[in-house]
Amino acid sequence: MSERTVRVNYVARVEGEGSLRVRLRERSVEEVELQIFEPPRFFEAMLRGRDAKEAPDITARICGICPVAYQMSACHAIERAHGLTVGGALRELRRLLYCGEWIESHALHIYLLHAPDFLGYPDAVRMARDHREEVETGLALKKAGNTVLRLLGGREVHPVNVRVGGFYRVPSREELSSLVPVLEQALVAAERTVRFAVGLPFPAAEEDYEFVALRHGSEYPMNEGDLVSSRGLRMPQERFEEAFEEVQVPYSTALHARRKGGGSYLVGPMARYALNRDLLPAGARKLAEGVGLEEVVRNPFRSIVVRALEVYAACEEALRLVHRYTPPARPFVELPEGFAGGTGAAVTEAPRGILYHRYEIAPDGLVREARIVPPTSQNQARIEEDLRHLVERSLDLPDPALSDACERAVRNHDPCISCATHFLDLRVEHV
Amino acid sequence: MHEERLFAQLRGALERAADGQSGRLVVVRVWIGALSHLTEERLREAWPALTQGGPAAGATLRVEVSSDLAHPDAGTVVLVSVDLADEEQLP
Repeated sequence: MSERTVRVNYVARVEGEGSLRVRLRERSVEEVELQIFEPPRFFEAMLRGRDAKEAPDITARICGICPVAYQMSACHAIERAHGLTVGGALRELRRLLYCGEWIESHALHIYLLHAPDFLGYPDAVRMARDHREEVETGLALKKAGNTVLRLLGGREVHPVNVRVGGFYRVPSREELSSLVPVLEQALVAAERTVRFAVGLPFPAAEEDYEFVALRHGSEYPMNEGDLVSSRGLRMPQERFEEAFEEVQVPYSTALHARRKGGGSYLVGPMARYALNRDLLPAGARKLAEGVGLEEVVRNPFRSIVVRALEVYAACEEALRLVHRYTPPARPFVELPEGFAGGTGAAVTEAPRGILYHRYEIAPDGLVREARIVPPTSQNQARIEEDLRHLVERSLDLPDPALSDACERAVRNHDPCISCATHFLDLRVEHV
Repeated sequence: MHEERLFAQLRGALERAADGQSGRLVVVRVWIGALSHLTEERLREAWPALTQGGPAAGATLRVEVSSDLAHPDAGTVVLVSVDLADEEQLP
């Protein structure tokens, strides 16, 4: 058989399709619309008629960066519908898995998406030429997080070992101990990351956010806790829909969330930190004090410091969990028999903020109705307000510089569309 | 979703590479940059679906993963080349 080679050298890259429309009347900002063109994916409809036990694996496909969050919210919601509470070592393994996801997700955003903004580079590739050590630190941290995911979840992206009631298989004590040197090195890298982040040059900005996060009685929140806000909200997490609603906006396929009877709010690291600083692990709290991090961060550009601190906290917490681990007798708890049907809802803290799932389940175990409210759609309205304030402060900038400033303002909140916004198409309409 | 977008670009590039060529695609060479979020494992997993019904269906995938962080294309995936075999000489 004769063969010949054709050189192609076609370069494929992630290219988002975000656009920002700003409408100005003279020197006043009338409208700001952040438009993200992502095709509707119909996950909630897809879940109808499926066995509820499939939901953790189906919803994990919503995000390649934070699949654990979807698995955790789904598991807790379905378990709540069955009246099941998972405790002991299984609960701690879930928390450890979440630590792995926070580490890998935050490290990716800090070093590959956000840091170049402050150091004057268009992207991490260009930054790596001059700041190789920092980029390598970020990649090492991401790898450490991925190692946790692989060990507990079976693989790094879209883990396959999570199930309602626990895991399909749990590690032996020896297997989990293999994480100790990985996490000890990650803790050192995380401290370096906090000190690196706090030393970055930050633009002046101050926003009056309503922060919303979970708050647990004794630990920095991941899988459990009440819903709390900086303006006095406090309620059991399963009552999420009593306080928050989603609305459609004509220019986006993403729903926007808001407080019922109120306005926008912010979820994510800044909110978690503001509402749970006292519950950080001891080392992280000491580090925050040592670098002079304010008790409430309201400058969105400084979110990178909070994110770095959460990487440190997750490494510290992961090490604690690994050291005290004793394998459970069984890798999962069976759902109670005699299920008569019911509804369960749960909120967990994804890296980007609270993630709400609700499932109405028929007596035969099939999903009748599903509702998913991800953190990015909750933050979208608040991001638009940040953008409005930024544009008001920057009316004299030429459009390319304004576009760059807006991209940075969006990236402050690490939306799922972070990488998309590197290609923001800015349209300024003067009326 | 990011992978889907990358795969759509690769699929389009494969179609363009095969367009106007006689013969069938038998080998596809892909280079993955050190800072690309795509992994070799993920690409291999998606390869059958990515090539199904297209000119590269059944072709062998050869992947080179770069570790060079300073490479100008480190954040990308490159379809490097394809090998074509003449139809009449195929068994």
